[in-house]
Amino acid sequence: MTRLACGMAVVAVVWLGLLPRLMRLPPMAGHIERMEVREVNPAAMYYTELERLPLRPAWIEQRLVLWP
Amino acid sequence: MKAAEEEFLDVSSAAAAGVTSVKPWRRGLPEDVVATLIGVVIVAVALAVTWAGRPASDADSREKYPKGWPTPLAATIEKPQTWSDSPAEALVDKRGRSVFRPILLGMGWVVAVAAAGVVLGGRSLGGVMPGSLALAALACAAYGLASHKLIHFYNLEYPLWALSLGILIGNTAGVPRWLAPALAGEFFIKTGLVIFGAEVLFSRLLELGLPGVMTSWLVTPVVLVTTYWFGVHGLGIPSRSLCMVVSADMSVCGVSAAIATAAACRAKKEELSLAIGLSLFFTVLMMVAMPPVIRWLGLDPIVGGAWIGGTIDATGAVVAAGEALGKEAGEVAATVKMIQNSMIGVIAFAVAVYWAGWVEHDAALPRTSLAAEAWRRFPRFILGFLLLSLVCSWLFSLSSATALWVDGTTLGFTSRLRGWLFCTGFVCMGLQTNFRELAPLLASGRPLVLYVCGQLLNLALTLAVASLTFGWLFRKAVEP
Repeated sequence: MTRLACGMAVVAVVWLGLLPRLMRLPPMAGHIERMEVREVNPAAMYYTELERLPLRPAWIEQRLVLWP
Repeated sequence: MKAAEEEFLDVSSAAAAGVTSVKPWRRGLPEDVVATLIGVVIVAVALAVTWAGRPASDADSREKYPKGWPTPLAATIEKPQTWSDSPAEALVDKRGRSVFRPILLGMGWVVAVAAAGVVLGGRSLGGVMPGSLALAALACAAYGLASHKLIHFYNLEYPLWALSLGILIGNTAGVPRWLAPALAGEFFIKTGLVIFGAEVLFSRLLELGLPGVMTSWLVTPVVLVTTYWFGVHGLGIPSRSLCMVVSADMSVCGVSAAIATAAACRAKKEELSLAIGLSLFFTVLMMVAMPPVIRWLGLDPIVGGAWIGGTIDATGAVVAAGEALGKEAGEVAATVKMIQNSMIGVIAFAVAVYWAGWVEHDAALPRTSLAAEAWRRFPRFILGFLLLSLVCSWLFSLSSATALWVDGTTLGFTSRLRGWLFCTGFVCMGLQTNFRELAPLLASGRPLVLYVCGQLLNLALTLAVASLTFGWLFRKAVEP
């Protein structure tokens, strides 16, 4: 039980202390902001979890007649 | 103190005593049949509920319903939202609405599926329910860890945290005795996979026409088979299932492909954990590195998008990297990956047939009984997965309205439930994983070499085919 408590304490320190500080570093903050503005969900495991469903792009739709 | 310690089971001793593994389904239906039945019934009911609440007007308008028809079931399930400083932020969505109730209901769905599995499997409900509630709470905690913005936007998906949380508890305090009967990781994964079938739509295969199909369908099987062969014969990795799971997650689409093929070839949970860890690590690296490399190489963004879509494992990371090259590149990347996503059904079925017929078959058996033996070993739930995939693909292709019906059902409900079931399954797997058994796999380094060599082949072949199709053969057709 002591080892579990130590493990949980490490998790709490990392998630509540370290990660919030790291995410404010310029490269990380920039990446997160870009993803939020573009509504990208990089954690999507499958296309159904994306914020926007990938649909055949309109510019391909217009040229579909050219496709073999 | 000693009495308190006896309430917990050490992972290795518990596994040896057969306590932490799922009890055999003695009196009821076999586990595969139960998972299939529950999965099919859930999707059928979800489709019926969405149909009953279909919009009265513009029911075929993708512009009005970009994510399909809204389903009433969406209000019954949600997962923790992204958060920065306090986990309490995870209980409020982007629009400022509380998602506490749908998160609780999501945990309720997990408990309901577990209860249905227990009843159909012929086991006692009373001994399993407290453990199922605890598993649902642990799955929620794993989702909470994965929802931190830094973790979320760098694609470290929830399976990693569900496994880690389970491993941490199982290998420190041990598994509480009252929790052990509820550890049905395989059942949760199988049921999640059957439900997942509704999202695997073959009809989406032609979204990008011939260039997309060539990039996905030509390269992926070649890389999968070559990497598997190299792992077994070149690197001499003793476990064929480990080679298959690593090859599939690297060549098809990361974690979701790893889960499907691991179930199809009955890989050990330690092997699946390792494959997922490798995939997530390299996905983060490639998501960050590929866009600047593509710019540095001076590649056409469309070719670069197709290259990203065909090589980065995780779907979300593909979109993130593709968007970094521009809108059109992002669209091509996402669509190539979606075509690859659609291959999961075919690949899981092919792996299950290959495993049952060739890898696990007894050479001493007479030829006449080979098919019967293969059928006996075949994982039945794969048929449920394929059935839902075929039915939903057919519905999707009927008309614009039915496509929105399928999208609304899967995006609004079944994909969320599938996520909860996978997350709970991974918590169970983590609780049952002995870290000491994972260590030799990590220490040998051969799975890492297999992944790197396979990914290098994948990068080279995908670039060649993407350049040939998107950059030359069909260039006029794909130029925006």
